[in-house]
Amino acid sequence: MIPEGDGRIIGYYGYPRRSLLAGARAAFGAELPLVDLDIDYGAPDAGLLPKATCSIITNIMNNAVWLSGRLAVVVAAVGEDKCDGGRNIAWLLKGMGFNVVESRFTGGGAGRPLVWSTSAGPLAERIDRIMETVVEPEPRGAAAQGPGTSGAPRRETGAIAAPPRCEPTHGFWGVPPNDFSILGLFPPTTHIYGWTRCVEAGRPDDLDLETFVDPGVPTVFFTQSFCAKQNLAHYLAERHGGLEVDCHREINDSIMAKVEAFIKLS
Amino acid sequence: MLIADCGSTWTKILDTGSGKLEIIKTRDMVKRRDLHFDVATGHSAKGRCAVFRNELIALAEGALALVPDPDFSVVDVGGRDVKFVRFRDRRVDKLDWNLSCGSSTGATMELLGNYYEIDFRTLPPSADWINVTCGVFGMEKVLEQVSTGTPAEESIAMFLHGIVRNVYDFAGRPETLHLSGGFCENGCFLKTFAGYCDIKPLGRAVPLEGLKAK
Ligand code: SF4
Repeated sequence: MIPEGDGRIIGYYGYPRRSLLAGARAAFGAELPLVDLDIDYGAPDAGLLPKATCSIITNIMNNAVWLSGRLAVVVAAVGEDKCDGGRNIAWLLKGMGFNVVESRFTGGGAGRPLVWSTSAGPLAERIDRIMETVVEPEPRGAAAQGPGTSGAPRRETGAIAAPPRCEPTHGFWGVPPNDFSILGLFPPTTHIYGWTRCVEAGRPDDLDLETFVDPGVPTVFFTQSFCAKQNLAHYLAERHGGLEVDCHREINDSIMAKVEAFIKLS
Repeated sequence: MLIADCGSTWTKILDTGSGKLEIIKTRDMVKRRDLHFDVATGHSAKGRCAVFRNELIALAEGALALVPDPDFSVVDVGGRDVKFVRFRDRRVDKLDWNLSCGSSTGATMELLGNYYEIDFRTLPPSADWINVTCGVFGMEKVLEQVSTGTPAEESIAMFLHGIVRNVYDFAGRPETLHLSGGFCENGCFLKTFAGYCDIKPLGRAVPLEGLKAK
């Protein structure tokens, strides 16, 4: 959420390197809140992008213009971990006078074990937890999964314990949707795949992980309209007998009905 | 029990007690305040029934009730949408539902047919087709064909052929395809489709069978 008032904030989008977020805080104020500009907070339409633009990219532009007086800096994911839209919007924001720091993942990295992608529980809540890991390395409740990668016991960082791993009955593949209402249709035993899983794994640029799904799990391949990930979703849905769904801004009744039918019938 | 499939153009109402099937225009159905269904599906059914069922689920369950094969595909071409379900071992293997594009639906064809007074039951199929990338653009192409001397019947048969190709692609180009909906009564559509695959009309009451099945 956006803190109330007119205090300074640090904006970011995608999954920027934590060292760059830490650097932004060191430069502009350790106490400055971090605000994810990908999210629709109800900012007015700045009217600066074509209508046929991914909603997430449009959110970034609208949020930046709306919050321009408060943004100390924008830490922008511009590499293979995001998309050309992320790179182009950083260039546009720089040209508009915003202070922009670019972030690129270049492969490798230690990665992190999956917790929320493969456990049971409300899907929207688990995706929220995963996206929190962009700025908060340890998923809340990760202690419930035992030792971390270092072998040391995990620190419990939040009030909600991670549920244990479950066998998947369904799958959700994709980025966190602009409109979360679609997520309420999925049963708690839905595993999370695609870019959202990559975020939890700390490997947002890993295309092999992004295109992985468990064979035989009925999966909805979700993309925002006008996103290049539609190519992947189309291919993977054909290959795995899944359902391909793309949506522009709000999810409409017919998309809900299609997903509901797929979940009930598969 | 009164069950209904309230499509965008036609509403099919079945009294399961007497077995009487009534098919009325949806625009007339919505005016009848007395009509209330026990179970219903379709675009216009919400608020007019005790139990509302998802259209794709009704189609899938109706097809399973009518087709004994373990593996088969069914497509329902409606006025404003097209639905597709493929079964393997009588379990859903793939489904899709296109509501956002008129390139493979019936409304535009009905408009053209009414305008040019075409009887689709007797209209001869055309070996040629118009690329119907969009219902409205396709309609423009028909008007253009007619204005440049192609008979209206031939132009509309070409338009219909373009729709058939889109539906065939939407259904994943199967060898055999079961058809649900009003196009089961469209001879030109069936003959044109037969050039692509073995098309098996199931009639207009497939979703009603699905409502009965539960
Ligand atoms: S949904 Fe696709 S196009 Fe939109 S921001 Fe994400 S990666 Fe880029």
